[in-house]
Amino acid sequence: MGGKSKSMFKLSLIVLLSLSFTLAGCGGNTNNASEGKENTAKETAAATGNTNTSTKVEPFDISVFIGEAGQQPTPDNKIYKKIKDELGATFNYEYLAGDLNQKLGVMIAGQDYPDVMTGNTKLTAAGAYIPLEDLIEQYAPNLKAHYADYWNMMKDPNDGHIYILPNYGVYNGKVNSSWYSGPAFWIQKAILKEFGYPKVKTLDEYFDLIAKYKEKYPTIDGSPTIGFEILNNDWRNWGLFNAPQHLIGHPNDGGVVVNDSVAEIFADKDSAKQYYQKLNEVNNLGLIDKETFVQNYDQYMAKLSSGTVLGMFDQHWNFSAAENSLVTQGKDERTYVGLPLVFDTKTKDYYRDLPVLNLNNGYGISINAKNAVQIIKLLDSLITEDWQKTLSWGVPGEDYEVTDAGRFIKTQEQRDKAVDATWILANKAKTFNDFGPKLEGSYADGNSTDAAAQPEEYLASVKPYDKEILDAYGFKSYVDFFSEPPANPVYYPAWSIDLVEGSEAKVVNTKLNDLSTKFLPKAILAEPADFDSAWSEYVGAIGKVNVKAYEDKINEQIKWRIDNWSK
Amino acid sequence: MGNQQISPQKTAGIVIKKRLGSSGMEPILFNTFNTIFMIILVTVTLYPFLNTIAVSFNAGNDTIRGGIYLWPRIWTTQNYKAVFVTGTIYDAFWVSVARTVLSTILNIFLTTMLAYTLSRKEYVFRKSITVIFVLTMYFSAGLIPGYFLIKNLHLLNSFWVYVLPSMVSAFNMIVIRTYIGTIPESLLESAKIDGAGDFKIFIRIIFPLCKPVLATVALFVAVGAWNSWFDAFLYTSSRQELSTLQYELMKLLSSTMNSNSNPNVAAGVGMNQNSAQAMVTPLSIRAAVTIVASVPILVVYPFMQKYFVVGLNVGSVKE
Amino acid sequence: MDEILAEKKVVRHPKKKKQPITWDLIKSQNQLVWMSVPLLLYIILFAYVPVWGWTMAFQDYRPGRAFNDQKWVGFKQFKFLLTDDNFLRVLRNTFAMGLINLILGFVTAIVLALLLNEIRKVFWKRAVQTISYLPHFLSWIIVTGIVATSLSINDGIVNIVLMKLHLIREPILWLSEGKYFWGIVGASHVWKEVGWNTIIYLAAIASVDPALYEAAEIDGANRYKKMRFVTLPGIKATIVILLIMSVGHVLEAGFEVQYLLGNGLIVDWSETIDIFVLKYGIAQGNYSLATAGGIFKTVVSITLLLFANWTAKRLGEERLL
Repeated sequence: MGGKSKSMFKLSLIVLLSLSFTLAGCGGNTNNASEGKENTAKETAAATGNTNTSTKVEPFDISVFIGEAGQQPTPDNKIYKKIKDELGATFNYEYLAGDLNQKLGVMIAGQDYPDVMTGNTKLTAAGAYIPLEDLIEQYAPNLKAHYADYWNMMKDPNDGHIYILPNYGVYNGKVNSSWYSGPAFWIQKAILKEFGYPKVKTLDEYFDLIAKYKEKYPTIDGSPTIGFEILNNDWRNWGLFNAPQHLIGHPNDGGVVVNDSVAEIFADKDSAKQYYQKLNEVNNLGLIDKETFVQNYDQYMAKLSSGTVLGMFDQHWNFSAAENSLVTQGKDERTYVGLPLVFDTKTKDYYRDLPVLNLNNGYGISINAKNAVQIIKLLDSLITEDWQKTLSWGVPGEDYEVTDAGRFIKTQEQRDKAVDATWILANKAKTFNDFGPKLEGSYADGNSTDAAAQPEEYLASVKPYDKEILDAYGFKSYVDFFSEPPANPVYYPAWSIDLVEGSEAKVVNTKLNDLSTKFLPKAILAEPADFDSAWSEYVGAIGKVNVKAYEDKINEQIKWRIDNWSK
Repeated sequence: MGNQQISPQKTAGIVIKKRLGSSGMEPILFNTFNTIFMIILVTVTLYPFLNTIAVSFNAGNDTIRGGIYLWPRIWTTQNYKAVFVTGTIYDAFWVSVARTVLSTILNIFLTTMLAYTLSRKEYVFRKSITVIFVLTMYFSAGLIPGYFLIKNLHLLNSFWVYVLPSMVSAFNMIVIRTYIGTIPESLLESAKIDGAGDFKIFIRIIFPLCKPVLATVALFVAVGAWNSWFDAFLYTSSRQELSTLQYELMKLLSSTMNSNSNPNVAAGVGMNQNSAQAMVTPLSIRAAVTIVASVPILVVYPFMQKYFVVGLNVGSVKE
Repeated sequence: MDEILAEKKVVRHPKKKKQPITWDLIKSQNQLVWMSVPLLLYIILFAYVPVWGWTMAFQDYRPGRAFNDQKWVGFKQFKFLLTDDNFLRVLRNTFAMGLINLILGFVTAIVLALLLNEIRKVFWKRAVQTISYLPHFLSWIIVTGIVATSLSINDGIVNIVLMKLHLIREPILWLSEGKYFWGIVGASHVWKEVGWNTIIYLAAIASVDPALYEAAEIDGANRYKKMRFVTLPGIKATIVILLIMSVGHVLEAGFEVQYLLGNGLIVDWSETIDIFVLKYGIAQGNYSLATAGGIFKTVVSITLLLFANWTAKRLGEERLL
């Protein structure tokens, strides 16, 4: 026993040592480590697909990584079944739950990619997608036509290849727009009604109204009235950061304003100072919630849905759940109207913009996909109008009705179902459609591609209280509060520029956000006499950061876009 | 409260009688203070759980308003329906049970065995092995190297990735070793004289004597295994049949949060202001998910608790 | 009691410091070797082998690129971390909150364990214990949500109670002042974990020999004296060992609580190393910086651990290593 155990001990040491070396070696040498067992199934699928040239549908599986959270559709989902029956494809979705950066880190390191992945700049930078130009040219005439006008914009700025098929922003036919979910200064409908539906154009007018209303109604439903909220919680930071660019008549370009195709940050400029000084002033009047800078998102939503908050700067989708709650409470008058405020009436508002191509979002095919041709053919079939109607509206007679005039319309029951999460899992190909290429605007027959934008559907959703307000202003929808947007500048929007992982520009961007988060609340809450010193402290801190690296990167990309995107 | 605790209870009874006899005011004062303290403690620690339960039974878009404390304002089971309609959680539940049971058994046995060897003062590798294990508590190689290890061991998308990497834990080893240190050496001596080897001593004497501490460690391991989702997230996320309960619930919660924070999705929801609103919101789903995830493991607790609240005393075993 | 046993052992196995490890000696302990060395190999494989990844800290690591194609940058990542304007502040915050959590966590858990032990009715003892550990099962996001609501100036329970007790005149905006923040984090930790941390001490108390209590009783010891001279010495080994281990974890002040409760007004007090590394490391795709941060923490942790262990040795207490 003793001698044996000695040699066994030696042996296991040797085994361990050699094992550790192989592991270290494999770890470094990642490129050939990508073959997984799961590929074999696909290979056979692809092989059979190639040999069998008859028109009969060959079933095949596509594994898809979705870079967002989502829910598995039910196994017998109506639409996915139809896709499988008619086109042969079965999607195996993997959704993200947890931190995307961590997941991508290990996926990239191990080169463990499924067939299809949603767009991500980290994956692009790691060479995880295959170029799609030739595939589309060869196998996908419908996709080619769909993206024809956007072809150059889809190219990756670093190497000129197309890796991702954008999911939103390709418009066809007339665009029906009756809904605005972007940034604005929001005000309670009750205030507009109270003061006889005034036309509110400037920041000063806006705060005057709020001050007047708060004075007249110091409490709402028994709780103290809150004049203005500024949410700056975690990644939801635009409530504090973004207003200045809009107030001087610029669209949302993220952290910069672009004049004559030259971008510069606005956080430390006079326009910003003017805005934050105004906030300082109204804070001194007691209009800003005392807790506004310490609250979290849940607390913010709780205040909004209590109906006591008169106004805030925000993007509508961020607080729509609070509005839903107000509606269920029967407090329609406490819901909000978005106002495109500017500093002075000479400035034309530019909050609302024309839809832009949703770069870096949508499907890309991974380098591990064995059946890229099948996948691109499938996507090509699904972009045809018939399939698009199925994906967006559903099955006629079940999910929507067609009038004699050929208009698509839903019954109330169908509308209710369409927002029921459980129903969606069984009856909509939601995940596919959220990220897939899609028609937007209207179909050839004039119906809207999106049920929500169909004028008949919109009219059915306008409540009496809203009708009263809209009539008073002579508007058809709340979108009419905003100026008609001009044509987008070629490079627009600057916020979608990829600052490139690990670049100095990206670090500077984070630093700037940190500084604004830290210094702006102090300046706003300062005694009015101290505002200037608080402001110069902030500007001084920004001065120490390499802002130029950030601006240069954006300007370089703006120039690239102008050179490559101009028609 | 099984029969085996008769003897300690008896002893405690004697002690109380004596104590009440010996001093007058002091224990009453102490007991009053202690009772008040415990009542405060119970109130403060029970509240968050009750609050979570109340939120989990409250209508989602009412919860947004805040102000839910101990009782739901608008009663609903919608949140639980949203959890249980996720068909995948039933299989995932059993995967979680399997990994928890297996991890606990393996971890307890191997860790105790190691702790025993490292409690032997005469063991030549005692010091070096102890140091090597203790240090593992203070560093981590990082996400990506860890992933490569799992990948190269062919544990990706395998059930064993839940069990193998966590078979021995340094912290628990130290806890058990410290406990073994309090066992009278004399107990082992007699066994040694009878010619028992270390393995036999470990199985026959040490392991049974360690029950109180093993109950504690088992609880740590079981709760840790039950609650973990990160391994499923990193290593088995592409195989649905290997998903664990925690990971499925995590996915559900993330997707609810996502549909409330995604501009495209949220805009679509907001559109239909006159239809019945989706009642489910992140706050309420999070509450329901928390309850569903923790109730199964909480049920296990009382079974473990008897070992360390009443205690199987070394002394009583000695007899 | 420990000391006596230890002495006994020393007598039985005289420890010659310079005694060489011979095959014969190992052979004579072959059962112990078989019971531990496979586990040693196991832990080396799972914990030590992946440490090759620390080379990343000296690279501009790009995932997906082969090891030989990575760019070596020397100490660049460490320089970025250690020379950042905020680093000292972040380090101070991490230490402060880690230390507060350590001390508060220890004292409260031990005190609670002792008090629980004094409850005579087993049912109540179990009930209180079970309830007190419930918050451990709630995620930080739920707990911090409740903390934030409780600290609110609009009907937050903390302000209401303090007002009722006339301790404050008007509601305090707790989360807007840096000076309160560490305390709030410490208190939140106690709230969430005190019951859970008690478990280990209860197990230790359960193993104290009842004969010792009886002996103390005969000597006329009252309740306090028994706690002081029987229970505490009985669990001292556990306390010391756990303390040494925790000292090494002082930098693990965490990031979730601070991240969830922090805001712009108090960021100078709330940001920890982990948050910093998360923001400038992982979130930027800079895994090298994250690794460098990890190495820095490891070095500090192990230094602290060895120091604590050495101190315990000097004081003649139980030690870890």
